Amino acid sequence: MMEKGKPTTQGVKHKNSFMSASYPAEEGLPKAIRAVLTKALEGKVFEALMLPLKVPKTEAYAWTLLDDAGLLEYASLLPPVMTVQGGKALSELTKHGELIEKTAVLLRPCEIRAAVELFKLKQINPDNITLISIDCPGAVPLSAYLADPEKYNREFQEHMEEKGKEESLRPVCQVCDKFSLLAPAEVIEEKEGYAADIHIGFLGQKGKQLLLFPLTEKGRVMVEGLGLKAESPAESWEKTVETMTAARRKNRQAVDKDFLSRISGPEPFSEVFDACINCHNCMRACPICYCQQCYYDSESVRLSSENYLARAKKRGSLRFPLDTLLFHLGRMSHMVLSCVSCGACEDACPASIPVGQVFSLVGDQTQAAFEYVPGVDRRQPLPLQAFQEEEFCEVEIPCECGEGQPPSEVNKNA
Amino acid sequence: MPSVLNIKKGVEEGLQLFLESLLREKKVAGVFTLRKINEEGAAAYTLITDPEQMQQAVPLYPLMPMNAGKALSSYTLGGASELPLAAVVRPCELRAFTELIKREQGHRDNLLLISVSCGGVFPLSSLSNGTLTQELPAYWKAAQNAEIPTFLRPTCAGCEHFLPFQADITVGVMGQKDLDKECNLFLNTPKAEEMASGAPGSITSGDLETPEIQAVRKERAAQRLKLFEPFAAQDYGLSGLVQTFAPCLSCHGCSTICPICYCTLCDFDSKTHEYQPTSYSIELDQKGGVRIPPGTLFFHTGRMVHMAVSCVNCGMCSDVCPVNIPVATIFSKVGDALAKEFEYVAGRDAEEELPLGTYKVDEYSEVGE
Repeated sequence: MMEKGKPTTQGVKHKNSFMSASYPAEEGLPKAIRAVLTKALEGKVFEALMLPLKVPKTEAYAWTLLDDAGLLEYASLLPPVMTVQGGKALSELTKHGELIEKTAVLLRPCEIRAAVELFKLKQINPDNITLISIDCPGAVPLSAYLADPEKYNREFQEHMEEKGKEESLRPVCQVCDKFSLLAPAEVIEEKEGYAADIHIGFLGQKGKQLLLFPLTEKGRVMVEGLGLKAESPAESWEKTVETMTAARRKNRQAVDKDFLSRISGPEPFSEVFDACINCHNCMRACPICYCQQCYYDSESVRLSSENYLARAKKRGSLRFPLDTLLFHLGRMSHMVLSCVSCGACEDACPASIPVGQVFSLVGDQTQAAFEYVPGVDRRQPLPLQAFQEEEFCEVEIPCECGEGQPPSEVNKNA
Repeated sequence: MPSVLNIKKGVEEGLQLFLESLLREKKVAGVFTLRKINEEGAAAYTLITDPEQMQQAVPLYPLMPMNAGKALSSYTLGGASELPLAAVVRPCELRAFTELIKREQGHRDNLLLISVSCGGVFPLSSLSNGTLTQELPAYWKAAQNAEIPTFLRPTCAGCEHFLPFQADITVGVMGQKDLDKECNLFLNTPKAEEMASGAPGSITSGDLETPEIQAVRKERAAQRLKLFEPFAAQDYGLSGLVQTFAPCLSCHGCSTICPICYCTLCDFDSKTHEYQPTSYSIELDQKGGVRIPPGTLFFHTGRMVHMAVSCVNCGMCSDVCPVNIPVATIFSKVGDALAKEFEYVAGRDAEEELPLGTYKVDEYSEVGE
């Protein structure tokens, strides 16, 4: 649905478009990634890093801004779970202005995409930030991981080695086709608008090496600062990414079709949210929901007791808390064009509602209608901020473009 | 000894019948109670005005989808209910409502507050993993025998206040024999007696405070201490707090769902707690590293300072935590200590003033000059 005649967003069909620098990973991928970042920090390429650190004596990960290379010992550069969505963490860090320290941030591709959307929404100042994206093997469900870290660490390790079972990943990760270097054709052609400054690839490398793809000037500065040169094509990586992307897309189509048939229509759709207790964890975990105070938490939604009773009498009863479904629909209409399908909402839901899957599906279709892919091209304006005279004329009265019919005509035909 | 309305029906059916009669007789304009919403066992609080719909009410269903005190507060925030209403709530929900009233977040007038000698509730997760429907018969058996089943919310298993404070009516559940045949409604106030007159059933008298109840209270107190054991101050300390709250996502779900946290905008969500680039820079200089978002532990300790004295141990916060932090256990432990310190029990008495709302000249002189 989303692709609709558009070029791939991972750039894999543009063979040899990307030149990479290689970094040895004989001692394992985590050590190699850590070595790259330690070198960059010690070599003053950056003054600080924002990374997930494992909190000592726990199985928990927390985003940390650090300038002490000693702390890198605790860094897990690609944790098995998504804790706070990295785009959201970056927004916390930079929404009030340019960071003083020159800082590099390592994010999963969907976190990079959220960061790009937040940048467009003016919630991130990217000026002193180098965004590093990395091939993502997916993430395991947060609450299941915390209940049995040993099992899920093992499962995740298998995914790092490219032999993991899809079902151990979060549902949105199982159908994610944007798990690697993000670049639509326009970005590649014009060499501008890249989401990340540099991408780290390891897929298809059998754990032997990391590939560093500088995409912007900041990325090139980093590669040079490490004493490396990006001059090798990365055919095996491209081939692996291409194969995985195709498999995921196929899977996504099948899953979407099935899921859509189960949630279509007012009743099935509202049943999905039956168990919602209105805690708004989904909204709080969502990187795109940046409002300091959500409309649905504001005084605007308060009622007097007579209003409650009047509403109850209309149908004989009134559910508390009120308007849980309206909250989800409202939130959806506010943010779904920028939804990056990261699944943070679903991880945060205490009632096990597949909220990430619903939003991802609706996001795909809405974004396709606007020919918008969130977070892959920094230059692409937010659909609701760009007015195009010729857009959606089928809903205009009278319809002048000849495409589609005005609603009155549609009704007559029906 | 209070009078008791005895209805010869199973406890839930009897209560349903009673509530329906209140609606039909127009003694109340609505009934606020739990209602099943799907076959998987989900339930939601519902304000029912149509007597026909009372059939779908499950007033004693052992699930707390939200603390009803919070719902009653939102209902009466703008003023007392215009028309009389009956509400069936658990003791901790009633306590929360009382605490909210003290904070001018609700009104009790015109409400018939019906509570229950409470057997506890299942954790919310038991809905998605199927435990609730599976263990429901065992739950009722345990309630009848005044036992503490293993599948309860941890805070319920350790709850000593399972008899309500200041309820108009208490539905006898814990330790009541023949739960499947008899429904006993203890009429605690004149309002309750008035409402019950003419209702189906016969008036007898009885006492809720039986030896069985006292025994289970003792047992629950022991469970409570056990629950607190891993958090003993001397071994636990600051590093314990840091480790416990390490996985926190700062989603603030605990605060959103907490009945006592009523602020429209939490201080910890306000600009006051947002860092400027210079704040990060200073902390980097001092510590070499800063957690992002910052202030995770500060939020929890700050929230604790703001509300723990009114914490009613309902356990919603733990249930809603996406990273399984035992928030409720920690807040209950601190709440207990504060209760002892201030000789205060949250929600015990609507007339009892909030400890921080009263000033005593000779209080805590040991920490003064």
